[in-house]
Amino acid sequence: MTEKFDREQFDQMAAEWRYIMTDMICRAGSGHLGGALSLVEIVMTLYYRVMRVDPKKPRWEDRDRLVLSKGHAAPVLYLALAYQGFFPMSWLKTLNADGTKLPSHADARYVPGVDMTTGSLGQGLSCAIGAAYAARMDGKKHRVFCIIGDGESNEGQNWEAAMFAGHHKLDNLVAITDYNKLQIDDFTDRLLSLEPLCDKWRAFGWEVFEMDGHDWDAIYNTINAAIAVQGKPKMIIAHTIKAKGCCVVENKPESHNIKVPDQAAYDKYMNALNIKATLPY
Amino acid sequence: MDNDLHNKEMRIVYGETLNELIEQNPNVMCLEADLSKASGTNPTVSRKHPANFLNIGVAEANMISIGAGLASEGKIPFCASFTCFASRRVYDQITISVAYANMNVKIVGTAPGVTAGPNGGTHMCFQDLAIMRAMPNMTVLSPCDCYELRACLHWMAAHRGPVYMQLIRMKQPKVFDPTYQFRIGKAVQMRQGKDVTLVSTGYMTPFAMTAADELAKECITVDLLHCPSVKPLDAEALVASAKRTGGVVTVENQNIIGGLGGAVCEILSEKHPVPVKRLGVPDQFGEVATEAYLFEKHGFGVQHIKQACRDIAARRRK
Repeated sequence: MTEKFDREQFDQMAAEWRYIMTDMICRAGSGHLGGALSLVEIVMTLYYRVMRVDPKKPRWEDRDRLVLSKGHAAPVLYLALAYQGFFPMSWLKTLNADGTKLPSHADARYVPGVDMTTGSLGQGLSCAIGAAYAARMDGKKHRVFCIIGDGESNEGQNWEAAMFAGHHKLDNLVAITDYNKLQIDDFTDRLLSLEPLCDKWRAFGWEVFEMDGHDWDAIYNTINAAIAVQGKPKMIIAHTIKAKGCCVVENKPESHNIKVPDQAAYDKYMNALNIKATLPY
Repeated sequence: MDNDLHNKEMRIVYGETLNELIEQNPNVMCLEADLSKASGTNPTVSRKHPANFLNIGVAEANMISIGAGLASEGKIPFCASFTCFASRRVYDQITISVAYANMNVKIVGTAPGVTAGPNGGTHMCFQDLAIMRAMPNMTVLSPCDCYELRACLHWMAAHRGPVYMQLIRMKQPKVFDPTYQFRIGKAVQMRQGKDVTLVSTGYMTPFAMTAADELAKECITVDLLHCPSVKPLDAEALVASAKRTGGVVTVENQNIIGGLGGAVCEILSEKHPVPVKRLGVPDQFGEVATEAYLFEKHGFGVQHIKQACRDIAARRRK
């Protein structure tokens, strides 16, 4: 939480993140573009307006935690951490390269500022619950945030976790579902409908919010409203657009993991962003 | 109290030792998945240290990943369930949330192998040593009596990293005493002999001792290595013994594929190839049955151990 909100500046930074992230993934030859682009505004708001973190002390005890349970969206988390100063910008261009410190899925072993290693879907919410439970045991005041995917919500372990957090009234936990309505193979409604999603979480004892996951004010206000609720865990259903900003794959299943075999493909994705920005590496 | 541990069920010793560990370090936690009475932690731990006791419900996957989350904040969770649920059911949670992330989570598989008896084939897990051994970052232990169990638990709490341990629930024959020191990666030389090496772990060690003692009366001396530390396994002691005897028998309360016998063969085939006979369950599922029936059916009771040792010793003499 380092900067005051300036809409123009945030819009500009979001555009940069999309540009850099697409370059990182294209450079790597393939990657999970769609689910990272859908989270830009949410992750930026968390790191710039909500979470208490210190890039100089990545393991600072009283920091807020973020578990990116949909670990394949790691590039957006890596961007946030690089911009915050947790590690040099030059690392970003090494995504998935041999010997990289930035692997495709969020990795707390190598990346300063990543709080939990994730990648096998369905486990991150349980991990976040463990972290939140420990914080409560120790009387700590920090908050634990967790981002899960909508496709990921097919995994049964999420609902074991939902039941546990509801039962234990873990109110230092705020979860966000990146509801971009797409999973790998198809639209969620066609493959395995999550609806009624809000009712499901409510039934498990959570306070549920909905927001437009690309609207700065909605995101900020909803997260703060969620933090303020006491006595139960909170779930924010964020309505987002998969691959937002990259028009050739926006809201399409094929955005989940793009393949970039050559310069033509690189140009296709980069030009589809309609953004002029410079790469920081 | 320390001198009469062997009069107690192993699970009670598990619960009481967790209490000791919690009293030494309040970060130690006891996690259960609705089998806390079976594990011996309810009421032993749940009543004495309710803040450190967390019953997750019948949700083992959630238990393991919550354990990882707790560990990420400095807690030291001991997560227990029947071996089938503590290992194979949650193999991916242990692999990713715990071992890959290198979280300080301790996993306790109770009622290993034939000791699952009345629960039968669905609950009788013969593969946990093999699958847990094949996991990077994972240490695998199988103590044989209450003194060794207690020593293993103290080691586990002090060691930073994932550990899987088999826990026999019932009372076990006294093998060691309160002075026993557990040493990671080290075998315990239970009997010295020159005719055949016998390697055992966990539940099978008292049977192996009986077999060795009875064979001594036939003038077959057995070099008996008990391996509480299945991974890392004591390659040095194993190779040294194989060099002395020229042949090896392994016995375990597991499938003969991939567990202790597999580990022994991996080491010997690379460092000192000698004939090896693996005893255990020959790649079959369990069933509701008495131990005597299962030993007879699968061929790893005392009589089978003795015969295998005789066969290997005879082969050496030729």
